[in-house]
Parts: sequence; C-alpha cells; structure tokens
Amino acid sequence: MRLRQLKESFKYFWQIHLTVALCTAVATGVLAGALIVGDSVRGSLRNLTTERLGTIQHALLADHFFQPDLLNRQNMVPAISLNGTVVAPQTQTRASKVNVLGVTERFFTFWQTETAPNLNKPTEQTFNSIVINEALQSELNVQVGDTLLVNIPQVADIHPEFILGTRDASEAIQSLRLLVSGIVPTENAGRFSLRAHQNLPHNAFIALPVLQKALGQSDKVNALFTSETAPISPDELVLSLEALDLNIQAHERHFDLQTEQYLLKPVLSETALTVAVRNGIPTLPTLTYLANTISANGKTVPYSTIVALRTNEGTFAELLNGHTTEAERLAYQEAYDQELERRIPEIAEAQKKLDEQLDRISEEVNALAETRAKLKNKAAYKQRLDEVKIALAEVKSKLDPLHARSKLREIVLNAWAAADLGVKVGEQIEITYYRVGSQEEYITETASFLLKGILPIEGIAADRGIVPTFPGIHDTADMSEWESPFPIDYSLIRNKDEEYWDEYGATPKAFISLETGKRLWQNRFGDLTTLRMSAAPDTGVSETRALFETEFLKEIKPEQIGFQYLSLQSDGLQASTGATDFGMLFGSLSAFIIIAVALLVGMLFRIGVEQRSREIGILQAIGYPLVKIRRRFLYEGGIITLIGSLLGCLFAVGYAQLMIFGLKTWWLPAIGTPFMELHVSPWSLLSGVLISLAVVLISIRVTVHKLGRTSAVSLLAGGTDFVDARTTGRPKTRKRVPFLLLYALLGIVMAVWLGPPVIRLLCVALTIIGIGYTVFDRWLKSQRVSEQLSRIKFAIKNAARQPGRSTTCVTTISIACCIIVAVGANRHDAPPETEYAFVAESALPLHHNLNTPDGRFELGFSDNNSELLSASEIISFRVLPGEDVSCLNLYQPQKPQILGASDAMLNEFPWRKLKLEYDGAGRVTAIGDVKSLRWILHHDPSDDFFLQDEFGKTLRLELETVEGSLFQSQLIISESNFVKYFPSQSGYQFFLIKTPPVLREETAQALEKTLGDYGFDLTAASARLASYRAVENTYISTFQSLGGLGVLLGTFGLALVLFRNIIERRGELATLRAFGFQRRLLSRMLFLESCFLLSIGMFIGIVAGLAAILASQGHLPSFPWFSLTITLLFIFGFGIIANAVAVAVALRSPLLSTLKSE
Amino acid sequence: MKERHTDISSLKVSNLSKDYGAVQVLRDVSFDLAGDVSVAITGPSGSGKSTLLHIIGTLEKPTDGQVAINDTNPFSLSEPELARYRNTVIGFVFQGHLLLPQYSVLENVLVPTFAFEQRSGATERAHELIDRVGLTDRISHRPGELSGGECQRVAIARALINQPGILLCDEPTGNLDTTTSETIADLLFELHNVEQNMLIVVTHNLELASRFQKHLQLAAGMCKVD
Repeated sequence: MRLRQLKESFKYFWQIHLTVALCTAVATGVLAGALIVGDSVRGSLRNLTTERLGTIQHALLADHFFQPDLLNRQNMVPAISLNGTVVAPQTQTRASKVNVLGVTERFFTFWQTETAPNLNKPTEQTFNSIVINEALQSELNVQVGDTLLVNIPQVADIHPEFILGTRDASEAIQSLRLLVSGIVPTENAGRFSLRAHQNLPHNAFIALPVLQKALGQSDKVNALFTSETAPISPDELVLSLEALDLNIQAHERHFDLQTEQYLLKPVLSETALTVAVRNGIPTLPTLTYLANTISANGKTVPYSTIVALRTNEGTFAELLNGHTTEAERLAYQEAYDQELERRIPEIAEAQKKLDEQLDRISEEVNALAETRAKLKNKAAYKQRLDEVKIALAEVKSKLDPLHARSKLREIVLNAWAAADLGVKVGEQIEITYYRVGSQEEYITETASFLLKGILPIEGIAADRGIVPTFPGIHDTADMSEWESPFPIDYSLIRNKDEEYWDEYGATPKAFISLETGKRLWQNRFGDLTTLRMSAAPDTGVSETRALFETEFLKEIKPEQIGFQYLSLQSDGLQASTGATDFGMLFGSLSAFIIIAVALLVGMLFRIGVEQRSREIGILQAIGYPLVKIRRRFLYEGGIITLIGSLLGCLFAVGYAQLMIFGLKTWWLPAIGTPFMELHVSPWSLLSGVLISLAVVLISIRVTVHKLGRTSAVSLLAGGTDFVDARTTGRPKTRKRVPFLLLYALLGIVMAVWLGPPVIRLLCVALTIIGIGYTVFDRWLKSQRVSEQLSRIKFAIKNAARQPGRSTTCVTTISIACCIIVAVGANRHDAPPETEYAFVAESALPLHHNLNTPDGRFELGFSDNNSELLSASEIISFRVLPGEDVSCLNLYQPQKPQILGASDAMLNEFPWRKLKLEYDGAGRVTAIGDVKSLRWILHHDPSDDFFLQDEFGKTLRLELETVEGSLFQSQLIISESNFVKYFPSQSGYQFFLIKTPPVLREETAQALEKTLGDYGFDLTAASARLASYRAVENTYISTFQSLGGLGVLLGTFGLALVLFRNIIERRGELATLRAFGFQRRLLSRMLFLESCFLLSIGMFIGIVAGLAAILASQGHLPSFPWFSLTITLLFIFGFGIIANAVAVAVALRSPLLSTLKSE
Repeated sequence: MKERHTDISSLKVSNLSKDYGAVQVLRDVSFDLAGDVSVAITGPSGSGKSTLLHIIGTLEKPTDGQVAINDTNPFSLSEPELARYRNTVIGFVFQGHLLLPQYSVLENVLVPTFAFEQRSGATERAHELIDRVGLTDRISHRPGELSGGECQRVAIARALINQPGILLCDEPTGNLDTTTSETIADLLFELHNVEQNMLIVVTHNLELASRFQKHLQLAAGMCKVD
C-alpha cells in the first residue's frame, strides 16, 4: 500500500519531486565535486612525486664532495647534482636553473620502464656527451648533435668569500662544452628533481666521470640515492678526517690538525678542542694570517705571516721569557703605561658619546612608555619601539670595539723582522692586512701593537709547520711568483724579503695573542688554522693521534658538516598533500552553496506539500495520525533526495572534471602547469552524498514538521496556507528581537575569538545574512497599514504573501552575492606597482658588487655597460636554497628558501626590523609574506618559525610580516645573520634592481648579456608581482564561479517561486483583471516584486560581504569596484531576465477564465 | 473623491448568446435595464447566470448578440480602454471574496485604485466605505484574520471604491450562513441606495431575489424578466 502510494505520489507530483531531486543532486555534486578536486590535486601531485623520484626512497646529500664509500651500504647510486646554466651557441639561447646531473647508467634503473640513455662519448665524437630532457630542449631549441656550453660552479677548497678564496669570474665558473647525444621525455628520469614543484624541471645528464673530472673531484660525488626503504642512519656514515677535509701533519713530538680550507670550521675546531681536553691532550690552537705590511720607524716589511697563539703559556711563553731581558721587560711596561695614559682620554671621550646615546635611547624608551596609552595606533607604537631597539643594538655594537681598544695589543717579532724594522721592545708596531668587506671587496685594515719581545728564529718561532698551506703562495720559489687571489703590490717586495722566503719560507715573522688574533681575523669560516696537539701524558704521539682521531670522529655529527639524509619519497608524498587543500578550499566555499541548496530544497518541498494540502486534510479527517502523515512525506523526501544524491555523484565527477579542465585552461595560473588528472575517491563521493543528504533531509524534516500547525478543516478547504501570510497572523516581534541580538552577539564573539581571518569572515558573513534574513522576515510579516499606498509599495507588498518563500529566495541570493563580494574584494585589477624595475636571480652566485665600478669590472662589464649600470641601484641578497613558499608552488613546502638581505635593504621599515637583535644565539628576526606564511606554509605569522642552521642547530625566526611584496616565495633575514648561521653559502643570487624607466631595456640587456654565464635571469618586478596576483585572481575566479553557481540557484529559486506564486494567485490576479488591471500592469507588478526580492537579497549579500572583509582584514582592500560592479550588475540582469521569463510563462494562459473556476 | 466617472442610464442586452464549444450556455437573451435599478438573476446551476454576469462585466465576450451600456458597446473598445472601462464603470463582488491575503482590509479596498492613476481622495473613500461596511475596527487586519462575512464586506467595499455605475455580484452570499447572508444583503441594498448605482446580483436565494426591483430568471440559457 505504502509503495503504491509513493508510486502514485511520484507520478502525480513528478515535476516538484524532480526539481527537489535535481537540487539535491546539485548539492551533492558541488560538495563531492569539491572534494574530488582536492583528491585530484593530491593524486596528481602524488603521481608527479612518484614519477619524479621513480623508486628512489632515500638520499644522502652534501654541500661538498665526498667518497661514495663513506656510506656503509650496498646498492647506493652515486651522482653529482649541481645547479647550472646551459647555453646553446647555435641558437643563442640560454637556460638557467638547470639540474646538471652527473650520473651513471644505474641512476636510470630507478625508473623501471626507463632505458638508460647513452652518456658515453663515442670515440669519433670530439666533445663529451650530454643528454637533456624535452623541457630543456624546448627552452634551448636544440637537437641531437648540437653542442651546448654547461656552466657550473667551480669547486674550491677555500670558500670564495675568504681572503684566500677565488672569486674571479673566470675561476668561479666551470664551463663544459658538450654534445647533445640524446633527448629524453620530461617524464620519469627526465622529470627527476630533488625539489618538489609542479613545474617542469630542466634536466641535463652527463656521465659521472666526465663531471668528476671537470670539477677535479675524482671519484667523489655530492649525492647518493637508494631504493631501499630503510632510511639512512647517521651511524651508517663512516666518517674520516679526509671526508671532513681535515688532515693531520704528524711530527716527532706533536701533530697538527689542519684543513685544505685553510680555516678550521668552528664546529670542527670546537669539537677537536673539546675532545683533546677531555682526553688530556695538550693543545696549542693557532690562527695564522697574512699581513700586508709590518711597519715601524718608517720602515716596512711586506707580506708576512703572523701567528696568533697563546703567548702567555706553554713553549712560546717559555721561549719569550728566555729571550727577554729585565731591561726589555721594564721598557715594555713603561711604554705600556704611557700608551694607556695616552689612550684613556680618547677612549673616555668615545665612551662619553656612547653613554649620551644610551641616555637618549633610555629617555625615548621612557617617553614611549608614557605615551603608549595615548598612541591609538599599535603598529606605530611597535614601529617606534623597534626603532629604539635597533638604535640600542647599534650603540651596543660599538661598545665592544671600544672596550677592545682600551686593551693594548702586544706583538712579538722574530729577530729578522725586528732587525729589519730597527725596533726595540716597547716600540709601536703597525700592521696592515686585508679583510673581506660586506660586498666581498678587499678592505685594508690597520692595527697597532706594542712590541713585547723579540724572538730568535728557533723553536716554535722557526716552525713553519704551524702555518697551513697558503694556496698559490706556499709552494712558489719566490715571492714575486705568488699567485694570490688578493691584490699584491709586488713593488714592496725587496731582495731581503726574497732571501727570507728562500731561507724560511712562510715562517711567521710575528706573533700575537690568540685573543687579539681572533678579534682581528676571525670570520664566519672559523677562527683557527691549526690545532697543534702534543702527546698525552704517558703515551706516544701516534697513540695520542689515534685516540684523538677515534674520539673526534665519534663526536662529529654528519649533519653538522653539511650532510643531509633525505627521505625523498616519503617527504615528497607528504608534500604532495599540497600547500593548498583544494578540497577543503572548494568544499568550504561549497558550504555556502549547500546552505543555499538546503534552503531551496526546503522551499521546493514545502511547495510540494502545499500542493497536497487537501490530501493531507483528508488523511487527517479519516483518522491518519499526524506522525504517520509526516513519516510518509519524510519517506518520500528521503527517497527523492537519495535518488538526487546518487545522481549528484555523477554530477560531482562531471563538476570535478569541469573544475580540473578549468584549472588546466582558464585558471592555469593557479597551478602553473596543466599536470592535473581526475582522481575520484569513493570516500569523497560518500562524504558528499552523506553530508548533502543530511542537510537536505534536515531541511525537509523542518518543513514536514510544520504540517501540524494547520487544522484539517483549513487544509480541506484547499488552504495551502499552513505557512503563509494568511494564517501567520501577527509577527511575534518580541521573540525576534532577542534572536537578532543573539545573532549579532554570536557573530561578534565568534569573529573576535575565533582568530583566523577566514573564520572571522565566515562568522561575520553568516551573522549578517542571518540578521538580514530575520529582519526581512520580520518586515514581511509586520508590514503595517500604509495610508499612502503607491503602486510600487502595492507591488512590493506582494512579497509578503508567502514570507517563507520570499525570505528563502532573498537568503539564497544574499549568500551568493556575499561570496562574490567577499571573494571579489580581494581581486587585484590594477597592475601591481613596485619601486623596483626588476627582480633577478642567478643560478651561480655573484661575488662582486654590481653597484661599484670595480665590482662590475670584475664581473666583466664593458665600460659602457658599467656606466649604464651606474644609473641603477642593485640590492643583492644571499640565498639559502629551499622551496618556493609562494602560491606558485602547489606542494606543501617544508624547507623554505631563505634570503639574506644586504644592508642597502635595511634602511626603511619594515626591513629595518631585520636589524633587531635578541639575547642569546639561535634567534633572529625574519620577514615573510603574510599570505605565504598563512596559506602555503600553514604557519601562524604570530608564532616563531623554526629551521635548522648549517650546523644542525635550531634557528628560531621571530616573524614580521609584509603583504603583497616581491618576497612571497622566501623568508628574509639580515645578511649578517645569514652569514652567521649559513656561513658556507657564498655570493649573491637574488637581486632587486631600481632603474630609471628610460634605461630599463638597455640595463636588462647589459645584465643578461654580461652575466649570462651565471644564469642571471631578469624578470620585470611588476610581472613577478602580477604572477603572484594571477594566482590569487585565479583562485578568486574559481570561487566566484562557485558564487555564480549560487546565483544561478538563487535566481532559479526566485523564478520558481515567482512562477509558483503566479499559479497559486491566478484567482487573485484574475480579480485584479476584473477590476481593470491590464495584463501589462500585472506583469510589471509581478516583475517589480521579484526585482525587489532580488535587490534585497543582493543588498544583504553585499553588506555581508563587505562587513566580512572588514572583519577579516581590518580594512577594505583596494577595492575592484569596476569588476565587482559589473559582476553584480550581471547578476542583477540575469535575475531580471529569469524573472521576466517566469512572469511571461506564468501569465501566458488567460486569467479571466480562472474566475469561473474560482 | 470626484464624482462617478459614468452614470448609467441604460443597460441594453440584445439577443445575447454564448457558446463554449458545443455547449450553448446563453441563447438569445435580451433585456433592458435603466438607471439605478436593482436586479436579481436567478436560475438553476448551469443556466448561465454567472456567464451573463461576466459578459455584462466585460470579462467575457458574447458569441452573438450585443451589450450596450449607455448605448455603447463596451466590446468595441480596445483592450486598454476596456480595462479602464471595467475599472471605472463596473464593480465586482464574487462568491469567494477573492481578497488578496497579503494586504490589510484598507489595502484590499484600495486595490482597484492602483489599476490606473489613483484619484485624489481614494483613501478617504476607502475609509468611508470600510466604515459603512462596519469594519473600521478591523481596518488593519488581513483576510486571514477575518470571518467569511467580514471578507465579503471588504469585497463589497472594494467593488465600490471607484464608484462604479454597475455593481455586479456573483452569489455574494453563497458561502455564508443565513444570518450573515441577510446582513450582507442588507448591506448591499443600503449601499445601493446610497451609491445610486445599478445593482445586479446572481443568486440562488429566491427570498433574496424577491427584494430586488427586477428579477431575471434564466433557464436553459433563456431569459425571462419579471
């Protein structure tokens, strides 16, 4: 019986049931479709990851080269991975940021389907082979058989930024001429990249031995890969002194720990000292430096080594004491006292000035504290506070050198130098030496000393072994043959200097205390050059050495010396969950659509029930309990919505396909490359079905519940009025007021307390819409009698005939408009503005200052181009390689790229904040883009960000934020902090360029042409900003399309309501015709009524959207009034047309005949 | 409120026929009415009473024959002219009151004034009519809050708002109990006397019909005038 009833019901009321089912299908489709889009992004990124890595599970990477057998594991595949640029001479094209990979055939076995390309050079071939991927081929426009120039960074033992390092452009870059022997597709190995990014990599494969030979790193690699699932453990690394670039020079009574890098890395020297002390090994740490001159009495000794060591203890002190007479001691003490007396007033004056500055700062701090309450603008207060902190830090930084100056420096000369200078103990000695400046320029520094003693060239004073090897100097026969990276004035070198060189070589001519030496010469690469260790008590040198080596290597952690163990596969898969959860993103916006659909379905179902009011009345009259009637309608509703939901699954797949198609075409800027494929998860479908089913059924349940409010008699009389104006009676105004207050209170509380802007946005939007709904509903039901009725008012009042329907339509439209306004307000229509002309990145680091003629000369700029560049200002940044944290990267970045901003950037706020200093190590200020932090890194900008420094220690970044800047892909710290925590990173690879508009084109050409070998790529700064904005705008477009769908639903609902109302009101309309109303007038009135509803809905939506933006952002962004107005007008126009059609269709049949049936 | 647009001096129906396909509802109906006469039309169900009323009210066109009001055939007017004619010359009261549920009593009464430019004094006239039908205390109520008799009174006031020359009532007491019917009938006659218009009422109630000055009896589409 029940089934038959249902069947009959579906048969007779199929139109309304079909509409309800279709609306449910839309809800399911939109929600499940959104989840499927999320699945598809994740699935596609996952596929890209597995394609990019093949079967590679783990990797051991290093910032230096090492022997592959360092890792005690079988089946490791060795490789060299470098960043380089490739030039195609034939086509005059260039590609930067190329992955230059030195590999063997084994590397390609990670991709089981892959046939390894032949990287070997056939005997008849002139140049070695290179295989490139199609992406690189397309960039360079080359074919097999063409030659390519591959530029990679030259490998050097000594850091290029140390005084002994090589920075010459010609020596910093290694160029290889290679012949293209094959082109592989940009898939599998052709897609290999260590970094997760959806964009196609440019890969160039070279035979490993060829690359090793070119780099002078025979048998060494910088990467090992494995397909084994067990992660690489630090214990598997068999470290040796060689692997750490250390060597031990053994002597009869001691041994010296030194390095090819000249300066012992701080982590190594500190560990070595700790181990030595712990094992009772006597140590003598020394720091040897090259002085340009040692001068006194107008005489000069050029180019001498000076050793800093513990002068007051050990053999050196003994030697000095043994060779210093009492008279000399007294003379020194007298000179010391005199010098101190001379310096005191000077130092006191400087101290006084600094004290005054400190006082001023203190006053400023006090004034700030007093005015804090008056300063309404917290940001202004914070900025002033930061200014004070920075000023304080600057003054403090001057205090240490001042204190240092108060201590007199002492020096000991060897007899040869003392004789040459003609000096006696207690006399003034001045030395000059080079220091590498912040822009990597050589700065000549001067330091004065008091001569404390003179040593004969014997014992430690004759020990040249304490001096490590100076590259280009040590093994030359004559000083005039020195080939040093720093400038040498050969005219200063005298015959006697050559004679000393011949006899004593690099034997030091002077000695200073280790403390003084460190203060003068220590830098980020280290503060010791040799750690001399003697035999431990009761043991021999060799045993002590063995003990030291064993204990020392045990202490060293590979990550402290630049090794990284990466779980590439699992990290990649983790990152492929995506920076942006498209499913949640689309899903949360779909929530609005779901609500709109729920309202619409509720209304449609109500219309369906109203159509059957007589049936309900009869059922009640013949004794059906209301519960049964309600249940019957619920069954019906359940079946209809279930069918609709299942239909919605199909719609979801289609909708997701459409969205993916959109992301691959219209909205491509949002994902960069069209890599996405459809991935349908049954769970997403099930979630979509269940959620939409639940929402729609609740809506139906509410409708059905209202059945009991109308008497059977009224229903039997044909009343469809169980929820309409005819029985609603007077509004319960008093009950509504608390509701309004509750809404407002809830909205405010949620907006304030639920922190994140998106939550504030949602809370405020829904609250305003809720208030709008309630107010409008109240207004409809409480319209008072107007004495001055106009035709317009008359028409508008018709909206109160079915208040429920009217409010539903208004709410649906307001939700859609709210989405469109709230989302559209963030659209940036205006072209982005920036003070910079270009952003540039170089694949290989630049070591010279582009702002100085000397720097430009060193980099190879012609005079004309150098002159041209003098009109530009170039701000350089150091770069720690990492992941792009901007919206251009779809993967979830885990290790952001870090920039070190040079001082030129730190003159204005907010960048000045990078000068803020904190007590204690491991804590620095960093600036990041607020959107990148929040949406891509998923990090609350008010929390500190933690990462690992070069020594494996945690570095805490105190975040400051900017918005919409050129730095959306990185985090920025000051250069001084950068070199402190990432000392091995060399040179500058990121640049901001200010250029007068008329010179932009010429400047760009000059830079790209001259610095082409460095892979110097310029991008117009506005274009870079536009690319970020394009992503945002694309997201906005996709969201607006969801809003558009909401509008479509709202308008559909409105037209449907209008149509239904007209059908129901045919009798009334016929009466109006009887009273002389023309059809045209009736149409106009009905049309006016629907336009009124449309306008109210749009008004509430616009207000809610604007308020939500205001609540979430604190201000209205530079509003895209034009595009938004056009969009809203379009919505209005669309609504009007839909309503006009509904009116025309509904009034098509003659009305007057209705009177007869009435 | 200005004077009535059109005073009715005569209503002449000549050889009026109306067919709905094969069904002939009215056959050769003819009668003449003059001035402010009150007329009852009676007859069995299906005899064409309502059809005749609708044709007089210009809601329907006759298949044959003529209607002349003040010697003018309203069906010769254009659609807009006919609408204005209906608005100003004719007032309707239907069996089901057909009030607009979203409007109050006052607004319902004022509805016909919105069809064209509203005449000055319309609201005062509405108040006056509402007072006459005894619903002043219910002026702001909606139809859903009124009884059937009250609704019909509102419908009568609405029909008279534009001071029509002819008031056509289609079984105005058909849905009402005896007492209320009598009250409504009294009201109709009272207002007829005040408004001095032609009152034509279709009714089954012969007792009521007997109170009218003239009585048209319809049977099988034919008309007999008493």
